Amino acid sequence: MWQAGGVSDEDRLSRAQARTILGRVFKMAAPFRKTMYIAFGCVMVTTATTLSGPVIVRYGIDAGIRARDFGALNLSVVLYLIVVSFTYVFGRLLFVFVNRTGESFLRLLRLAVFRQMQRQSMAFFDRNKAGVLVARMTADIESMSELVQWGLLQFLSAVLMLVFSIVVLLFLSWQLTIVALLVMPMLVFSSIKFQRDSNRAYLTVRERVGANLSALQEGITTVRVIQAYAQEDEVKRKFKISNRSLFAAHEKSVRVSTWYFALVEFSGVLASALMIGIGGWFAHRGTVTLGTVVAFVLLLSTLFDPVQQLSQLYNTVQSAGAALSKLFAILDAKPEVDEHHSAVDLPKTGELKVTDISFTYAGADSPALDGVSIKVGVGEKLALVGPTGAGKSTLAKLMARLYDPQSGTVEYGGVNLTLATMTSLRERIAVVPQEGFLFNGSIRDNLRIARADATDAEIEAAIAAIGATEHFAQFADGLDTEVRERGSRLSAGERQLVALARAALVDPAVLVLDEATSNLDPGTEAEVEHALERLMTGRTVIVVAHRLSTVQRADHIAVIVDAKVAEYGSHNELLARNGHYAELARAWQKSHAPS
Amino acid sequence: MSVSETDSEVSARLEFEQTQRSEGWKLLRGFLRDQRRNLIIGGLIGTSWAAFKVAIPQVTKLAINDGIEKNGPLLKWSLIIAGLGVLTGILSGFRRYVAFRESRWAETLLRERLFGHVLDLNIGYHDKAQTGQLMSRASSDLMQIQGFIVMIPITMSNVIQIVAVATILFITDPILAIVAMAPLPFVNFSARRFSNRIHPASLAVQAEQAQLANVVEESVAGVRVVKGFGAEQVQFDKLSKEADDIYAESMKAAKIRSNFMPAIDILPALGAVGVLGVGGHRVLSGQISIGDLVAFNVYLTLLVWPLRNVGMIIALGQRAASALVRIHEVLSTSSEIVDPPTARDLPSQNGKQLGAVKFDHVQFGYDAERPVLKNFNLEIAAGESIAIVGATASGKSTVARLLLRFYDTNSGHVFLDGVDVRKLKIRELRQQIGVVFEDTVLFNDSVKANISFAKPNAAQADLERAAKLAGAHEFILQLPNGYDTVIGERGFSLSGGQRQRIAIARAIISDPRVLVLDDATSAVDPSKEGEIRDAMRTVMSGRTTIVIAHRPGTIALASRVVFIDNQTVAAIGKHEELVATNARYREVLASMQEAKTETEKVAAK
Repeated sequence: MWQAGGVSDEDRLSRAQARTILGRVFKMAAPFRKTMYIAFGCVMVTTATTLSGPVIVRYGIDAGIRARDFGALNLSVVLYLIVVSFTYVFGRLLFVFVNRTGESFLRLLRLAVFRQMQRQSMAFFDRNKAGVLVARMTADIESMSELVQWGLLQFLSAVLMLVFSIVVLLFLSWQLTIVALLVMPMLVFSSIKFQRDSNRAYLTVRERVGANLSALQEGITTVRVIQAYAQEDEVKRKFKISNRSLFAAHEKSVRVSTWYFALVEFSGVLASALMIGIGGWFAHRGTVTLGTVVAFVLLLSTLFDPVQQLSQLYNTVQSAGAALSKLFAILDAKPEVDEHHSAVDLPKTGELKVTDISFTYAGADSPALDGVSIKVGVGEKLALVGPTGAGKSTLAKLMARLYDPQSGTVEYGGVNLTLATMTSLRERIAVVPQEGFLFNGSIRDNLRIARADATDAEIEAAIAAIGATEHFAQFADGLDTEVRERGSRLSAGERQLVALARAALVDPAVLVLDEATSNLDPGTEAEVEHALERLMTGRTVIVVAHRLSTVQRADHIAVIVDAKVAEYGSHNELLARNGHYAELARAWQKSHAPS
Repeated sequence: MSVSETDSEVSARLEFEQTQRSEGWKLLRGFLRDQRRNLIIGGLIGTSWAAFKVAIPQVTKLAINDGIEKNGPLLKWSLIIAGLGVLTGILSGFRRYVAFRESRWAETLLRERLFGHVLDLNIGYHDKAQTGQLMSRASSDLMQIQGFIVMIPITMSNVIQIVAVATILFITDPILAIVAMAPLPFVNFSARRFSNRIHPASLAVQAEQAQLANVVEESVAGVRVVKGFGAEQVQFDKLSKEADDIYAESMKAAKIRSNFMPAIDILPALGAVGVLGVGGHRVLSGQISIGDLVAFNVYLTLLVWPLRNVGMIIALGQRAASALVRIHEVLSTSSEIVDPPTARDLPSQNGKQLGAVKFDHVQFGYDAERPVLKNFNLEIAAGESIAIVGATASGKSTVARLLLRFYDTNSGHVFLDGVDVRKLKIRELRQQIGVVFEDTVLFNDSVKANISFAKPNAAQADLERAAKLAGAHEFILQLPNGYDTVIGERGFSLSGGQRQRIAIARAIISDPRVLVLDDATSAVDPSKEGEIRDAMRTVMSGRTTIVIAHRPGTIALASRVVFIDNQTVAAIGKHEELVATNARYREVLASMQEAKTETEKVAAK
């Protein structure tokens, strides 16, 4: 039932880290602290009642049966019954309140981490791989739900059980308590060794399960290639190797637990043996009563079970701690692009002016932009061209304030973008990325991404503005068509149309476009071109261009080479210069030469 | 289940499910047969463990009665108990080891069998199957089965333990035995119900978690859109809804736990209360000894886990059974494309060029009702290169798939060097055809392994020759580890054009008689199309080549054009001739070119 969580060495927390994390968790839990205390109270009660059972049995045996006192025997039975019903009632409450505490915490954590993630600037998303960020919000938080559902409860009751047991045992007889604890060092030592070994074994298993699943998936998804080259046997042979190494890892992890469980079982019985031997000797001498020895024999398991449980929980707690420390790191990250405290709205219209900006991506050796200045007048169209990685996309992003320059300014209508309100910035300047990215939901939902408060009429007007009304009317559910996973139901061209309609919905004064590098399906390519043309009409446009046709439509062309503006002018001017641009144009022409 | 289902339909369905289920169990029995010996050993170890385990309280009772009460030899009793401890310890360890090892082994073998079977299934099957479903057959379904098998030896010893304990209790004192064990069947019952109720609840939590993951994924992947339009709040609202749903479903699961777990925990305690009350009076009236009473209590605790486990295995068994049915379904599907009973050999080279292809009155449809190709006739001479041109979904790519025998024709024949492809061993046929697919699929492996995929033991010289012909050698040397660079590993990625050239090298390494190039240029940066075309031109020379052209630029590579229209060969000839004589050809060409007109106008200047 219990799957131990694995913790790699680099994730292991120091004691100080653990303390800080615990402190923050308590602070976060403030809103539901009451629930937490009730849960804790329930744990105390059930632990106490569970433990009092054997004590009552001892009383029944000694005061009732051995003293031949029927009243005392009956009393013990009634007491036992009361205690059992308490265990039941508080046990039920315990589950509800412990889970409520834990799940409330996880919910809060999900919301807080996501909100903080969303506040981060683009640079944050460049630095952190998408998969890692998703893992933080999913696997890392889910790894704690195991702890919340079972672990926390088990952990608390195990600790309490251990403490209470020792107290009760001491109360019964300190001599026998020492006897009972004789096997403890062996148990504790082997538990520590086991948790170490099993952790290592589990990490190997997890890694190989991952590799095995990848091999499996690759085999299934590439079956056409495999069959086309008649390599089924070779692929099967390789899979067998990966599969057998997974088996070996499983086998190893079972072997680790084999001796441990054997030892645990043995130490329990050994403790009984010691109790009979040494306890019996005490009883012979009259130091303790027979009932006490019997109670000790019965209580031994309440002493050993918690030790075992704690050692199994150790890894789960460790991995939850590791997950929490990564999540807190996100909560602590300060967003780099943020609204200035005295921000003003951007003017309705104006010139976009870049003055001597420089920008270096975090971790990059050389700047992506180095002292670039450029101006785009109202209604002008600027095409940015140049080799891959020369900085043209970066310039476009800075002009929309997806990043802030390290030096220099970007101004719109005379206002520095870093001093503008985010709302007005997004209303004036809209970015249309290279690929039409769609979210789960309907086409309508996807447009509302651009403006959450848009009415249906406004959405239809935006679709009409790019001339795509007819196209989407072909769909059975019209704009309410679900786009499925990442828009898989729509073609690349249709996705691009949705992306353009989004921009139309915002109705911005400035449009920043990143043109797709690959070709669209021939059917919709013309429609997309048409929509783009309509969208660009009457707006200031900055386009990162990959095609001659696009460049030709621009008023000005800036050729970006090595982080600088190398050439600037119109198509014909630049052709005449016979420099970078002329060379690029020749390459484009060659690749499209008619057959 | 429809309302209108008649009784006979219901019984037919039930019967079908019954057969499926028994087929599933048959499958389990079948593959466990080889492990029978070890499973029996595991059961025997478990049984002896149970026997010793049950003996310990008996011995403890004797020790208390004889050793402590009657001042008997304490050391002897202690040693006996400790000895039993050593035995149970070792046996319980081995029981666990055997159970887990055997269940993992069964899982491992079954996964290999499943994977092997799926790889051999014909492409028509894969067209319909979903990757996710096949993956879950090979992962979560197998896990269910493993979880069941591991319980087999454990359950065997548990059952024996329950029987032994019950027998001892009844022999000691039948009345007290009934009192003590009365609540216990409920443990079993509750454990079974709990397991059945909590399973769907956990699945519901997982489903909600998956939805939340979707919101996070799209927000991260689409961060440019979110940032570009300031849609942070929209995404946060979506996430907040999913987080609430997870909370609600988790609390439902917690409720189920709270309904069962405490009850399962206190049921044995109720038995203990009964033992104290009734037993106490029976001791006082002299019917049993105090030792018996203590032993009763100890035995009760010995029954709790086995009863829970037996309850659980019933629920696990039900889930394993449905998993087995699903796996059996895959394993019992046989491939529709198989080797002929007596295969013919391809003619070998006797001084003449090989690689002649012929389609003779071929009719084919993915759905037999709707043919894609009708009365399709085509002869390609050895060494000749042709381009297949047609509108979207006209069946261009189907021609190559039929030649590869991914599918069999509905009627008519496909010949390679005069031999019907159905008369050849599939392996031999496919080794003679090199394909570059439209979507370049490469493996997460080294460049070297990718190129030598069709010829795993190719020498480095062969490898480089193929790479050079495909125009890939130069850039491969520039990669971080040259030919040993692993594709898809973090840090660098290949461009569309580079991937394509590796795919071309892979297609030609085994020097196939026929080369199929399914438009290799659609995913390539327009400025790189020229380089790809150069590579294609080189590898095509002197080899039978079928170019499936989606773009005008590639047509020029072939010496003849086969124009497919209306599900058949509408015209064959030189490109210029067809342009001059065939209006429909011009139309199709125009639709392919539409997107390019702008650029070409510029280029013509």
